[in-house]
Amino acid sequence: METIFVLLPLALLIAAIAVGFFIWAARTGQFDDLETPAVRILFDDEEPRRPAPDQAPTTAQPSKTTADATRRVPE
Amino acid sequence: MTRFRESRHARVAPVACAHCGLAVPAGLVREGEKEQFCCSGCRQVYTLVREWGFDQYYRLVNRQGGVLEPARVTGRSFEDFDDEHLRAEATEQVGADRCRTRLYLEGVHCAACVWLVEKLPAVLRGVDEVRLNLGSAVAEVTWRPGDTRLSAIARALDRLGYTPHVHRAARVQDARRIEDRAALARLGVATACAMNLMFLHGALYAGAYSGMAWAYETFFRWLSFAVSVPVLVFSARPFFQTALGGLRARVVHIDLPIAIALTCAFAASAWNTVRGSGPLWFDSLAMLVAALLGARQLQRSAQRAALERADSLRGVAFLEFARRLAGDGPGAPVVEVPLTALSPGDRVEVRSGELVPVDGVVLSGRSSLDNAVLTGEAAPVPVREGDVVNAGATNLGARLVVRVDATGEKTRVGALLAIVEEALSRKPALLRTTDLMARRFVQVLLVLAAVTGLAWLPRGPEVALERVVALLVVACPCALGLSVPLAVSVALMRAARSGVFIKNPDALERLRKVDTVLLDKTGTLTEGRATVLRWQGEDAVLQFARALEAESSHAVARAFRSCFGRPIWVVRTVEDVVEVPGQGINGRLDGHDVCVGTRALLESEGAFVPADLSRFAETLVADGLSPVFVAVDRRVAGVAGIGDALRSDARRTVAALRTQGVRVRILSGDHPAVVARVAAELDLPAADALGGLTPEAKRDLVAGLVTSTGRAGAIVMVGDGVNDAAALALADVGIAVHGGTGATIVAADIVLTREGVTPLLDILDGARRLRGVVHRNLGFSLLYNAGASALALAGVVGPLLAAVLMPVASLTVVLSSAFTRTFAGAGGHRTVRPAAAESEA
Repeated sequence: METIFVLLPLALLIAAIAVGFFIWAARTGQFDDLETPAVRILFDDEEPRRPAPDQAPTTAQPSKTTADATRRVPE
Repeated sequence: MTRFRESRHARVAPVACAHCGLAVPAGLVREGEKEQFCCSGCRQVYTLVREWGFDQYYRLVNRQGGVLEPARVTGRSFEDFDDEHLRAEATEQVGADRCRTRLYLEGVHCAACVWLVEKLPAVLRGVDEVRLNLGSAVAEVTWRPGDTRLSAIARALDRLGYTPHVHRAARVQDARRIEDRAALARLGVATACAMNLMFLHGALYAGAYSGMAWAYETFFRWLSFAVSVPVLVFSARPFFQTALGGLRARVVHIDLPIAIALTCAFAASAWNTVRGSGPLWFDSLAMLVAALLGARQLQRSAQRAALERADSLRGVAFLEFARRLAGDGPGAPVVEVPLTALSPGDRVEVRSGELVPVDGVVLSGRSSLDNAVLTGEAAPVPVREGDVVNAGATNLGARLVVRVDATGEKTRVGALLAIVEEALSRKPALLRTTDLMARRFVQVLLVLAAVTGLAWLPRGPEVALERVVALLVVACPCALGLSVPLAVSVALMRAARSGVFIKNPDALERLRKVDTVLLDKTGTLTEGRATVLRWQGEDAVLQFARALEAESSHAVARAFRSCFGRPIWVVRTVEDVVEVPGQGINGRLDGHDVCVGTRALLESEGAFVPADLSRFAETLVADGLSPVFVAVDRRVAGVAGIGDALRSDARRTVAALRTQGVRVRILSGDHPAVVARVAAELDLPAADALGGLTPEAKRDLVAGLVTSTGRAGAIVMVGDGVNDAAALALADVGIAVHGGTGATIVAADIVLTREGVTPLLDILDGARRLRGVVHRNLGFSLLYNAGASALALAGVVGPLLAAVLMPVASLTVVLSSAFTRTFAGAGGHRTVRPAAAESEA
């Protein structure tokens, strides 16, 4: 049972490190904005396949994208 | 030709705007184009988004289920952003050659905006990073002054439909952020320590029951002592600060009994640790601090959304820039400069739809100005050379050149804004219910402590002291301290979901009893813009009038353009448009001569007004509306009644308020006759409709009512303009309606993000329900305190019982708060970000 004299302070030390990280995170503003990061993660990193911007002349009317087809048409 | 004639009256299916998805007005449909747009703003934004290869934006909008609003592109040069002083107010240096500027963006509405705005570095040289905060709509742009200019960045944002504003309230925002971060750190430390103390004490409780070796017990006691020190020294500091501050100001705050309990518990436990015997209260102490800080943090975060928005708007000046004419002559180049760079005698240009930036005199141009924000007048005021104009008015008509007489604080609107700031600083803090109870609580507590001490003194001073400490610990008003913040934060969150942003939770407490609701007229009870309220004549004629008025930017033209809800006809050609200033507009549409304007204009064109239309026009005038005549081929074929329409929910809301026993009065700056007509429509007695009030008169009236009514009931002020802001600040509760100017949003306690005045009823109902919850919570917590004190007096309370009793009491309050439906009636509304008035133009 004597091991508890070592283990308990060790456990508290680990807890203290965790709390230290939390304070660091709070102080550096990681919890300032809880709304935007939640939506930012939804953005796909990979761009869907499409012609490079400089190769797609705006006058040539590229084929209707799915976005256009599904746009809501109000009354 | 015949083909055209046939198709002219053919009904066409509405076309959706490629950018925002709204119906495209008939006159704007372009033949043979795949993408159609409802306005030039949408066309510009869509073209740019495609050009830069950001098509994914529209997919994101669809996936998020977001709804776009018609885009607005100001087309400004933003040269004023390059001004050293202006830039310095929002910019900080990052490293040697980079700086970070905060810009408030108008028109940010969903996640897709974050994506689009943060993609800016991909297309703009010299921009390293953009981070957009969706809640406050403030973007932090990191850029290199060596490679680009701030004006170039601003122009790009503007062309994407986000009008940028230099965000000057960085210091206020930073202060709040630092405070938020510190509060979070304190809560984290308190919670972590409380959890660990629970384990340590668990061992001690078990040891006390089944026996524990002396070495282990001492070890655990000292560890508990060590873990509880950060709680008391770091986390609990705010309680001691407020309690001491209250004592110095001779006010008993709820934090005082809490501070007493914490001090006693810690002192007794520390002493017991050192001497090696006696009860320890470390776990209860830490749990108490963690629970109270947690509840306060909840309230903070519930309030945060509303406060951040107010901060954003506080940082944006009402009037930001002026277009100064450099040099003389009619062809002088125009430079956009910050207002501070103007001096009296300069000449500035005011374009259609823009705010007049200065007080001055019109040098050239004729137009009409909307003064509603300043004076409450709904009807536009015509201006011409030599007329005096005030800063803050909206130019509804043609371009004006104005000579600068006064800028900034010396203008009429500057003085009004100064009054608002002064009124805000005068508003007294509310003595909250819990604080009122705290005084009595502390008195009872001291008496009980004395009784306990005396009762147990025969058993020895040591026992007596122990009992007194036990009493002070269990009688700590933890549940009492939780009861209000928890109930309020639940109410705030529910309210925000239903389109009511509560900046100041005191307002909810003040609304316990409402004496009078004071309503502004223009923009609050009414729509605040001219619309076609009545029409006599063929629909086709109205369509002609609309197609012709689409060519003009006059106030009447806006009224015609915004009258939707009727079938759309196609007008093919619009030619030879001539505007007659102050009278109307002429043009040739599909081969017909069409004239829209005053009776005098039409008669001078040789048109004759038939008797029935003439009579209709007279009834319009009698009802306070302006008649506008429409002639096709010199035959007067229709009359439109133009006016400021009452909001559709105004009548119902006012009636409901009055059945609740609330006195409803109108305070308006508009002409008394117009105000009287609105009052009659709302069935209000004429004595309760006050017109022709200056902003100062409104403020004084509200201040007088607040003093004379005293604590008998709250005076609620509802408004939308700069002229209401001072009154909003001084009323017991100030409510800014949706679409109000930035000044009202800063001054008000409650900001509506939902159209109309119906939310007023929700607010009153929510405040009433909240009062019920608070009372129930207070009842629970006092019951607990009384029971616990009785047990302590009887001497049966030890640390274990306290550690069980306290969380149970707190949990009751948490559950009681969480399961109450304050503000439940109005869920599922689409809320709109409060926008400064300039975006309404």
